Amino acid sequence: MTDGLKRRDFLKVLGASGAGAGVLGCSTENVERLMPYVVPPEDITPGVATWYTTVCGECEAGCGMWVRTREGRVVKVEGNPEHPVSQGALCSRGHSSLQALYNPDRFTGPMLREGGQLQPISWDDAEQMVAERLSSAGGYYLFTGFAGSSLAGLMSDFAGATDGQVVRYDPLAEAPLREASRIAFGRDVVPWYDLEEARFLVSFGADFLESWLSPVRDGRGFSRMSGVDEEGGKGGFTFVGSRLSLTGQNADDWVPIQPGTEALVALAMANVVSGGGTSAGPYRSIVATYTPENVADATGVEAESIRELAERFADGPSLALGPGVAGLHRGATAANVAVAVLNSVAGNVGRTVHYDAPQLDAPSAGFAPMQQAITAMGAGDVGAVLVHGSNPSYALPASSGFREAFGSVPFKVSFASSMDETAAEADLILPDRHFLESWGDMASRPGQWTVRQPAMRPVPHFDSKQTGDVLLSVATRMGLGLGSETFYDHLRGRWADFAATAGATDADAFWHESLRAGLAQVGTTPSGATETLRQPDRGLVFDPPAFDGPGDLHLMVYPSARYGDGALNANRPWLQELPDPVSKITWHSWVEMHPNRAEALGLRDGDVVVLSTEHGSVEAPVWTYPGIREDVIALPMGGGHTNAGRFADGNGVNALDLLPSEVEPLSGGLVHFVTKVDVTSTGRRRPLASISGSDSQSNRPIAPAVALAGLGAEAEGAEEEHGPLRELQGVGGFVPVETEGRPEDFPLEGSRYGEYGDEEEPRWAMTIDLDKCTGCSACVTACQAENNVPWVGEGQVTMGRDMGWIRLERYYEAVDASHAGPLDVRFLPMICQHCGNAPCEPVCPVFATYHTPDGINTQVYNRCVGTRYCLNNCPYKVRVYNWYTFTDEEPVREGLGHVPEPLNWQLNPDVTVRENGIMEKCSFCIHRIRAHQDRAAVEGSTITDGQIIPACQQSCPAEAIVFGNIRDPGSRVAQSAGGERAYRVLDELVNTQPAVTYLKKVTFHEVESEEH
Amino acid sequence: MTKRWIGASVVTLTFLASPALAQAQDSDAAVAVTDGEAALVQPIAFPHTIHAGVDQIDCQYCHFSAERSVDAGIPPVGTCMGCHQIIGGTDERQQAEIQKLRDYSANQESIPWIRIYKVADHVHFPHLRHVAAEVDCATCHGPVEEMMVIEEVNQPLAMGWCVSCHMERGVSRDCAVCHY
Repeated sequence: MTDGLKRRDFLKVLGASGAGAGVLGCSTENVERLMPYVVPPEDITPGVATWYTTVCGECEAGCGMWVRTREGRVVKVEGNPEHPVSQGALCSRGHSSLQALYNPDRFTGPMLREGGQLQPISWDDAEQMVAERLSSAGGYYLFTGFAGSSLAGLMSDFAGATDGQVVRYDPLAEAPLREASRIAFGRDVVPWYDLEEARFLVSFGADFLESWLSPVRDGRGFSRMSGVDEEGGKGGFTFVGSRLSLTGQNADDWVPIQPGTEALVALAMANVVSGGGTSAGPYRSIVATYTPENVADATGVEAESIRELAERFADGPSLALGPGVAGLHRGATAANVAVAVLNSVAGNVGRTVHYDAPQLDAPSAGFAPMQQAITAMGAGDVGAVLVHGSNPSYALPASSGFREAFGSVPFKVSFASSMDETAAEADLILPDRHFLESWGDMASRPGQWTVRQPAMRPVPHFDSKQTGDVLLSVATRMGLGLGSETFYDHLRGRWADFAATAGATDADAFWHESLRAGLAQVGTTPSGATETLRQPDRGLVFDPPAFDGPGDLHLMVYPSARYGDGALNANRPWLQELPDPVSKITWHSWVEMHPNRAEALGLRDGDVVVLSTEHGSVEAPVWTYPGIREDVIALPMGGGHTNAGRFADGNGVNALDLLPSEVEPLSGGLVHFVTKVDVTSTGRRRPLASISGSDSQSNRPIAPAVALAGLGAEAEGAEEEHGPLRELQGVGGFVPVETEGRPEDFPLEGSRYGEYGDEEEPRWAMTIDLDKCTGCSACVTACQAENNVPWVGEGQVTMGRDMGWIRLERYYEAVDASHAGPLDVRFLPMICQHCGNAPCEPVCPVFATYHTPDGINTQVYNRCVGTRYCLNNCPYKVRVYNWYTFTDEEPVREGLGHVPEPLNWQLNPDVTVRENGIMEKCSFCIHRIRAHQDRAAVEGSTITDGQIIPACQQSCPAEAIVFGNIRDPGSRVAQSAGGERAYRVLDELVNTQPAVTYLKKVTFHEVESEEH
Repeated sequence: MTKRWIGASVVTLTFLASPALAQAQDSDAAVAVTDGEAALVQPIAFPHTIHAGVDQIDCQYCHFSAERSVDAGIPPVGTCMGCHQIIGGTDERQQAEIQKLRDYSANQESIPWIRIYKVADHVHFPHLRHVAAEVDCATCHGPVEEMMVIEEVNQPLAMGWCVSCHMERGVSRDCAVCHY
């Protein structure tokens, strides 16, 4: 009955007569059932969240997590504040793991391919089949990604006992970094970088805020280093690279080097720092050769610029990072060695970079073992292959020949939990559990371990089994004993050893405390040892590597800030619709090109071009970007899936199709930055699904900055003067009129749109520090997860109907790719400003938006009739409108947002789910405020400053957001809003009196005068 | 705001509009609601008259989370069995109903109660806050100790009814206290 009954019809009926609804009839379908527990779970109170600790499984960083569950369902993940990696924050990818847990494209159970079709099979039969086929295979491969420590150990035990070989492959492997650590200091590790301890950073293309090693931890370290401290000091950051990534955009200076010349710049800096090489130990003669003058031509950087940079670096404590994936060229290991030498001569080893307490779970052997496996598979020498936690059919260049070789293996098993390009070729699928349903563990660094525990029972739609349990069962069927019945037993066995190492007398108590805290200290974490440079004994070549192909356009294939490599996480609408932090484009791929180059080629934004190399070609629209050198073209990874699920397939292109399958000789890593590319226009155009309005502030003080030197100068100045205030209150609210009201008078007494309560009542407010914000967009996804914000689909985004409650605006102030110099890119998270004198309020014909007594500009969904006047009158464009119902199981129309079962299990029960015809916007996480108020009222306690944390603040790695009661002069928000850098966006134009105060970015260079 | 609440509200309204309701009360049967064709019957004829009336069991003994959660809580089958392990009923009709309960328990199945009280999805009603304010359960739920079959009393769970109480008690009637 209700299917045909729309909300407005229903309201009409109600309006006519209360009892009239009865004539609509009724059927048993409409009855809601209350299903009580049979046996009450001890840790669940209906309506109250239960939290579990675990460790994120999205990347190797291993962020400690708190998982919020309601009535046994996971509804949100957040960082564990006690954890040394996440420190309470989490990135977009971590948040989006919920959409993998509840992904409608997960396998419903084990499957066997018969006659080309996947048919259900029982676990028993499937495991028996694996046991038999492995016994007769005569050797097999087990391909894996990062699996967590205990599982990785079990895999290698299993393979060792069954004549198998484990090959770990990850397209973004840090093989050159490990090899360089070995060459430089004799330590085969990925070192631990401590950004917070540095005062000056130089990144040689390492994208540490988005995809390199540990973005959440490094994001926190970076913001603490680069944010203005109480003494008015501030750490500096220079980015050395051919293209500005998100990390690069956060730099104070940009040195746009010739592609592949990181090593030269690093050595020339080392030359200056070490007095011509005298203190460079065994690298003395090498460093002495590379003076700034000698490398100036090759790098395209003036000697004077390198010298200044080096002198600043020598001032210390400093830290050189990288090269990241941008440096994965033929000289990748040498470039990493050069950076290690630079850190060493500047005295940073043991101070800001630690080789004695590295990142443990990061190691991966790079591409070389995989290449050998491909050769063996192609030769028909491999009887079986097992694939776990990786998607090599997608994540290896097509030119590697993996697909063909893999296809020729007679028995292929995939442990993928949902379809991917590799599983699509498999004969048998044994779906693994999602990490939120699994046991496991990870080490963050020596001594620091985190348990992974299931936060909920397995999602019942999917008959999954942990791969560890499958391997143990298969081993038993093969007549082998691996020492444990279940993977849980295996894990507990290891943790009993940990307990002994940690000196705990009660292993069970140690285990339970580790589960509770989400972290265990097992032994000591060494720190502070310096390392001595070793003889450069292998044929290191520091000179720029060759690039294949004609022309002068170097092709840079870089990991997406949203997906990383995108091999396993692209089928998530939250990530697909998250605007890329650099380009602001959603859903599809794009080709980055300098505006001058585009002009020379007669191209503009949205022109579809063909990129071709000798290895393949792809087609994507142009996006012009001043933050890339004119001789470089960049393409993000993560697009172009063909068989990864309904949300990923067909979006964009797989950039790896353009790359050769070449190994960097020293480290065995895959080279990414190695070829030139040919650009041909197709003559066609397509609109970019971008949320970017303008790259320029057009001289409006939206995201102003203040020079470091000017800080404190105006602190003693007179009261701020401003011209006549105007407010949008004329002609029904649409026309600005002058007002004599003072800012603090708003909202005016007797206002029809609400008044603030008396002094007892809080006034909620927020400050956002633009000096700390890195634009990483973690808050955007956190908000989406918390507030049931729908995704709308590519077509709607293209029409400007994206629905994010937070829009991360990005403005270019100073971006020059032609020579080294100051860089100024501004980020501004724009949310509802909760204006004290809100232009949206007087124009609403039904009073659906008004002020609460505690200072929130609220949106009453059930009052809203969807006139959209408020949206039109909002100077900040932060109100978003549900043009369709995006929350039904089926899309209203193809391509529109929807929430298919069981994705709807993720919906936050504390927040109303909206349907079409409703306006919505940031609510200051009012449900969290109300929950704390309820609790305080019941317990008779008072809410303390910092107790209420909105989802965006909670998630922010940079600690840029502060929320609280601005009426309490001692609160952090009041302190920070009263600071020298505080300003409010467009306040003077329309006298909106926002509750959101921004703190100006601080730059090292002078700032243009038109800004306030 | 989804269609589900509309459906639920229609059911709610129908309770009040239907003349069949009166018959249901009279006949002492487990009929919760009927629109003349489909009769909706609670899976077990649970008599609040005996539990809350005769035995005077405190509401929160079964609705265990009302004072600490937004949800009052529906008793787990195990809670029912805590007593009905022993108590088997005095007459045949009671014994038959209690046997249903024991069957649910033995089969480890949940009892699919028909939901009677539901505010719309865009309304947040925190039980804990109202319990703390010493609002008697009967204020909203009526004299359940006199009800053989639970039905909505006093109000159609409409906003005006909520607001009138808030006004009487001098507590907030700001929209965003309940709507967010």
